Amino acid sequence: MTPKRKWAIAGTAAIIAVFGWMLYGGLDKNVVFFLTPKELLAKGTKGYDVPVRLGGQVRPGSVKWNDQTLELRFALTDGSSEVAVHSKGTPPQMFRDGMGVVLEGRYGRDSVFDATSLMVKHSNEYRAPKAGEKPQEMYRTLIKGSGS
Amino acid sequence: MNWRRASLGVAAAFPVIALLAWGMTRDPKDIPSPLPGKSAPSFALSVFAPGQQPLARTVGDTVRLADLRGQVVVLNFWASWCLSCRDEHVTLSAVARQYAGKPIQFLGVLYNDEPVSGTAWIKEMGGQSYASLNDPGARTAIDYGLYGVPETFFLDAHGRVAYKQTGPASAQVLARVADSLLAAAEKDGAPTKRNQ
Amino acid sequence: MNGLIGHGALLISVAVIVLGIGAGVMAGRLRTQDWINAVYSAVYTNFVLVTIATGAMVVALVTHDFSVSYVAQVGSRATPLFYTIISLWSALEGSILFWGWVLSLYAVVVVWANRRRAGALVPWSATALLGVSLFFAILLIGPANPFHLVYPVPTDGPGPNPLLQNHILMAVHPPLLYLGYVGMTVPFAFAVGAMLSGEIGSNDWIKLTHRWTLLSWGFLSAAIIAGMWWSYEVLGWGGYWAWDPVENASFMPWLTATAFLHSAIMQERRGMLRLWNVNLVVGTFVLTILGTFLTRSGIISSVHAFTTGTIGYFFLAFIALVLVASLGLVAGNSDRLGSVGHLDSAASRETVFLLNNLFLTVFMFTVLVGTLFPLVAEAIRGVKVSVGEPFFNRMSLPVVIVLVFLMGVGPALPWGRASRDELRRKLVPPAAGAALLLAIALAAGMRNAYALAVVALAGYSIVANAREIVIGMQARHEARGEAWGVALLRLASGNRRRFGGYLAHIGVFAVAIGIAASSSMRSDREATLKPGESITVAGRTLRLKSVWGREETQRSVVGATLEFVENGRVAGIIEPRMNFYPASQQPVPTPAVRSSLLGDVYVNLQAFRPDGSNVTVKVIYEPLVPWIWAGGLIVVLGAITSILPQRVRVTREADARQPATGARGALAGLHANVEAT
Repeated sequence: MTPKRKWAIAGTAAIIAVFGWMLYGGLDKNVVFFLTPKELLAKGTKGYDVPVRLGGQVRPGSVKWNDQTLELRFALTDGSSEVAVHSKGTPPQMFRDGMGVVLEGRYGRDSVFDATSLMVKHSNEYRAPKAGEKPQEMYRTLIKGSGS
Repeated sequence: MNWRRASLGVAAAFPVIALLAWGMTRDPKDIPSPLPGKSAPSFALSVFAPGQQPLARTVGDTVRLADLRGQVVVLNFWASWCLSCRDEHVTLSAVARQYAGKPIQFLGVLYNDEPVSGTAWIKEMGGQSYASLNDPGARTAIDYGLYGVPETFFLDAHGRVAYKQTGPASAQVLARVADSLLAAAEKDGAPTKRNQ
Repeated sequence: MNGLIGHGALLISVAVIVLGIGAGVMAGRLRTQDWINAVYSAVYTNFVLVTIATGAMVVALVTHDFSVSYVAQVGSRATPLFYTIISLWSALEGSILFWGWVLSLYAVVVVWANRRRAGALVPWSATALLGVSLFFAILLIGPANPFHLVYPVPTDGPGPNPLLQNHILMAVHPPLLYLGYVGMTVPFAFAVGAMLSGEIGSNDWIKLTHRWTLLSWGFLSAAIIAGMWWSYEVLGWGGYWAWDPVENASFMPWLTATAFLHSAIMQERRGMLRLWNVNLVVGTFVLTILGTFLTRSGIISSVHAFTTGTIGYFFLAFIALVLVASLGLVAGNSDRLGSVGHLDSAASRETVFLLNNLFLTVFMFTVLVGTLFPLVAEAIRGVKVSVGEPFFNRMSLPVVIVLVFLMGVGPALPWGRASRDELRRKLVPPAAGAALLLAIALAAGMRNAYALAVVALAGYSIVANAREIVIGMQARHEARGEAWGVALLRLASGNRRRFGGYLAHIGVFAVAIGIAASSSMRSDREATLKPGESITVAGRTLRLKSVWGREETQRSVVGATLEFVENGRVAGIIEPRMNFYPASQQPVPTPAVRSSLLGDVYVNLQAFRPDGSNVTVKVIYEPLVPWIWAGGLIVVLGAITSILPQRVRVTREADARQPATGARGALAGLHANVEAT
């Protein structure tokens, strides 16, 4: 083995090692746990202020949207436990009572989950039209009224 | 072709395949339920929607799980604000009617909803063959660890949760699970009660 | 009727493929012309059959034949004709059918273009292509059968997924992606063919493979950019890349294919990296299949994963087969693939190519680890986790910075060995470009260190690449007195592959600058506005004029009209909207974008009062986003330039090699033997 070759191998190994180390550190810090409200609450103080993905269902009747401060508040439930959620800038039209959602964010010490992103589960499920939920009926004044 | 090296290469493929194969057994969207295999939480709920003959029950009657021992129970949690419940409504209603006379009970449980809107919804959907129960404060739903509606629990003749369907149930799944539970009940000779 | 024709054609195609594979094995072993012809006929016949099946599906879609299960699933009488046709690839079964068709098309072109080539390479490669086709044909008659008969026949269907019928790019992105993805099967088939025929030791197969990889790589590059554009225009969050498993699935084979495009040159010129190249080709193909498996089997949670069925198990079996067969083959042939050449000096283009391969591969593994980690974590520790964007961003930034720098250094260095003086002459002047772009970025207010590094190094590398072009032009200008424009054209056509490479590099720099600027200097605001009120973002003022609703053929729309106000005057309008599709429970936000060379104003309608008294809008100003799309276009132009036939010298050479060549034009060029790089 020539010295040149040795250097090349050593260099390659060094780059791979550095990268492996970064990979390990990066994964360690950036892995986001997927929890349900029950599991989150069971974590106790360890559940505060770490990034998590929280999956559950929007408790019917709990959705409150303030269109001046753009704040959305609702309760996320997994059937047995419930977590209060606060989110800024989430469009309420995308939102239905009782739908399954996955939130990304942190659970604060004030016992409110601050969601930075909100994904609607089963977003690719779509079915034949249903009575009462048609946009023409829901937004009658807008869609039937003007029509620019 | 160097066969010794070739076999080493083949061996290297297996960990990857094993990981992927194992992954196939998981559903990333599946929410683990503590219930299947365990004995189902008991409940005593009152009927708010009567259903239709021959499965009708009297409004106001209390249905206790303990009284249904010996029969297969299909418990469907639903709500009038739930869109997917509309999808499975016709199926459930029809399947329940098919099984009338067999030792199997279909029951709806209203989740987080008012009986008034529940009744109105049933009317709008053109009726429901079996009765629905009111669950004030969602206590039963909480006992069953409900994740969302619709969810359907299949309890065997011994009162254990045999299967749980998350999301709308299809006619095939309903029939398959119901048949296998009925067959099991028949086989181990559990004291079966006739449907009224 | 359509269902019967389609299904029948697919059934026959399975039989034809099986016979063809049998013939292929005989052809490979006996090498008699009769067997070889039999394989080629199987390839042609299969193409005709799959075309009939695909045609039957298109006819069924257009005529709203709801007795065909796929049409019942994605069709709707309300959907416009255009979206009806492209719904061919809007759900699983249709996309598999389309995939099968593209694959059979590739197989025909490969075989036709090389049908006169001597030796067992092409028959074996055709057999490998038939093997992959067999897998898709089996899917199409089994778990992903789009031609099930539906009875009773529904009168109408739900229409395609709303997200997929909301933008014209959905007509562009999936076909490009399939052309790129499926195209990677061809290099794989050549590699398998070369190994089975024993031609793996020669460099011939690598030249053939290089051009085909370039073609697929061009399609894949275009597809990735189109996909980014689509998500930017449709998803309403103002971003274009989220490291979703689906995106990663298209990016990983792109990385390995890019590595191969460079390392193949190393093999052609220096006889190095021969084993490595086989691995890259096989790896790229495995990654395309793995990516499809990950996104189609439901094994990993993704925003755009398709719903699942038994198809995942078929894919698993296929991956297992491909991995076992190809790893076995490669390892078994590895002692024939030793390096012939060696590195002369560290200061050479070879070194840069090696580093480029190293970093591209490391990049691919990072993405792979991040994508598969949730699976590993659940297998080992039983916890459900996801790997977020921060991981990918953090890991990829240093790699991207190094790669951008290498892309400038590589073309500037000579093969072999560079003298100290040459190094200084080549590597120092481009620093002016770095300084210039750095100054501009700082003046424009960019403060993020990573973004500044990307921009500065892109400046360095742009100058380094442009300088190579200029030096070539200058040489022609001085030696032959050609005008500058003529010199450029002659230079480009004289060595297309090299010139195309420079062009592709410059495109990548534009993309890199666009991403650096738009992600680090984005500013956004959200506000609830009543008609007449306005919002200002990054110096741009928008005033809400009206809120409106209307019904369109296949959907209902709620929208807002906002006016750009400049110096008290209205300077244009922008109309973000929400589209309500009848079959969907949620509206599809449809942002509006006003682009200019320097940046985009992106407006998304977040919410509205049902009575129209106010709306909530999100206004984003993102600088240099159009650079990403333009850069993508330049990359594709670079790929096209490289693939185009090299006229004068090449045809002569090709004619000398294979007399009576029938295929002219692009096809001949595709296989022309290009020495110069």
